[in-house]
Amino acid sequence: MNFKEVAKRAETGPLIEANDFLMQRVAANVLALKKEYDVKWDGKSLINLDDQLADRCWQAGKELLLRSGLYSMNSRRVIQFSKEEIEDAIRLAPSQIIMGEGKEQKTAYHRGVEDPREPFVMSGPFNADTHESMFVKLNEAFAQERLIDCLFLPGYLKELDGQMIRPNSGLSSRAAVLYGEWAREAVRRAGRPGMPIIGHSVMALNEISCTNEAYGLRRTDPRAMVLLSELQVDDVTMARLGYYLAYGTPIYIAHTPLVGGYGGGPDGTAIIGVASFIASILLGAEICHVGPQHIKYKTQTNNHSLFLGSLVNQATNRNSHIITTTSHTTAGRTGSDQYAYEFSALELAVVTGGSNISGPRPAEPLGFNNVSPLMGRLFAEVGHAASKLTREAAAGIIEQLFAKYKDAMSLEVSPKGAPFEQLYDIQKLVPTAEHQACYDRVKEELTRLGVPFNN
Amino acid sequence: MTTEEIVFSKMHSAIENYDADAAVTAANEAVSAGIDPAVALEKGFADPIRKIGEAFERMDIFLPELVMAANAMKAGVEVLEGALKARGSAIAKKGVVVLGTVEGDIHDIGKTVVGAMFQANGYEVHDLGVEVPAPRFIQAAEETKADVIAMSALLSTTMLYQRDVIELLQSKGLKDKYFIIIGGAPVTQKWADEIGANGYGRDAIEAVRVLDSHAKEWAK
Repeated sequence: MNFKEVAKRAETGPLIEANDFLMQRVAANVLALKKEYDVKWDGKSLINLDDQLADRCWQAGKELLLRSGLYSMNSRRVIQFSKEEIEDAIRLAPSQIIMGEGKEQKTAYHRGVEDPREPFVMSGPFNADTHESMFVKLNEAFAQERLIDCLFLPGYLKELDGQMIRPNSGLSSRAAVLYGEWAREAVRRAGRPGMPIIGHSVMALNEISCTNEAYGLRRTDPRAMVLLSELQVDDVTMARLGYYLAYGTPIYIAHTPLVGGYGGGPDGTAIIGVASFIASILLGAEICHVGPQHIKYKTQTNNHSLFLGSLVNQATNRNSHIITTTSHTTAGRTGSDQYAYEFSALELAVVTGGSNISGPRPAEPLGFNNVSPLMGRLFAEVGHAASKLTREAAAGIIEQLFAKYKDAMSLEVSPKGAPFEQLYDIQKLVPTAEHQACYDRVKEELTRLGVPFNN
Repeated sequence: MTTEEIVFSKMHSAIENYDADAAVTAANEAVSAGIDPAVALEKGFADPIRKIGEAFERMDIFLPELVMAANAMKAGVEVLEGALKARGSAIAKKGVVVLGTVEGDIHDIGKTVVGAMFQANGYEVHDLGVEVPAPRFIQAAEETKADVIAMSALLSTTMLYQRDVIELLQSKGLKDKYFIIIGGAPVTQKWADEIGANGYGRDAIEAVRVLDSHAKEWAK
């Protein structure tokens, strides 16, 4: 199905109130499909080891999209898809996508469950609030980490010159332009001028102002869009899609199913996750990102979200060649050992399920620049190591990692961490001795637990 | 069982089964049986809705159940309110809340959870939806004689509009008339202090606690 047809249906589909869509089309159907397809979490497992459950979840997710459709929030109309259109989209989904330029041109690809090929690593500030004074340095430090394939969401400029930025304002356009310029400057300084950059500059339509072939984000840089929970899309996203599809950039679409929300527990929410992956493909996505949210913990590394991430990826990657990736947000903040243990646990759960990896970032950064390029390196190393593990082997390590942080999953008690400028020598752009020691200590412990690092 | 006990039991069941029609029927039975509507509210609806709120906190139930229970209670309470109004009286509510997601922000779920939890805890909630312009918050608060204005923002950029509502209230001389509580992913206590909000809730459960614990400040 082409975008023109989807956009047309957003104007002509059945008119329905948002609450009715969520309660009657999403929540009611998820509840019914959980029973029909026997999709049930056992209440204990942190990772799914049951292939049949994954396959039933896939079938239930496809059926959910057929029954519910995708909700256009601004027109209040449902974009409905037929069974044939859904099957065609799955069959025609790209299994690999090329991005970036020159020596830094990279290929992201579909991975199967327990696929021994290393995941595609997307890491960077991950849209954490980034201060303009540190934007280039921070991204340069990420780009100089050679294991990172693609610079991921180079930061979020919420103010310029101390002035907070209002969406769709002149300042917002200015922020989008600078975002593109500074991200390009960062990869150039790191000696990787063609390194792909996944961008989402500002949360408004003038986001597209980041595009500039010479000084900003290029045609070969993927652009990120976000579907809203659950199975909803807004006009700004549709408008950006219309532009970027026509311009020819790779399309990266994220969805954020909410555990405890309209899907209920991790099992029902995984059904929504599958439906959202397929909806993303129908909108034109080449890379589909799941970033589960949690109504209580707000992180992606709690027990519910570990299982959800594992199940939704296995379901999709066993039954399609969609390119999936999973984001990693944690309770522990950057600079703490807990931060690394949390993202490692989730990586083991999802990489063994066929996912590529995006992140990491604290779920609730305290202030600007609360991310670390050195942790981006460890994130890549753990992701690569996880591709050597079976789900069974990963499960044992995940249990031990989860035990380390399960009592500190609340954002109120999780470690406060430190910003980039305290974790790095900003002049030399190297980690401080203390931050390096954190990396060494965590890596040693992960090795002891059985994570098979390359070095 | 006495007639009262039978009716209260039906009211409990209606909430526990998230059944708005049954809640209306049970509330009508209470009125027909001559039970004081205020007593019926407390003994028939308040107890099960509190338990629903607690079950949601424990994640024994999820958002759809919470919303359906809150809707069932709202439907039943309307019947009891009608009966009290006919007597020239009114139900004593904890407070009236005007709630919405601020301008430029289309995120709905967090705000919906907060609204359902407020309702489950005895507040009258007027949900203005998403992308609510600053003047609309104030207009709705005036129209409903609200005690509380609750604003959600999920984006770092849209939280600015929480400040705008407060500035507009100040410019109209209405700031002290309302208790203003804010929340949302990028929102912090520091931001609440900076813009002059009276309260901040990290999540729906904390938002209820903040309103309850500051009742003396906003109760009219």
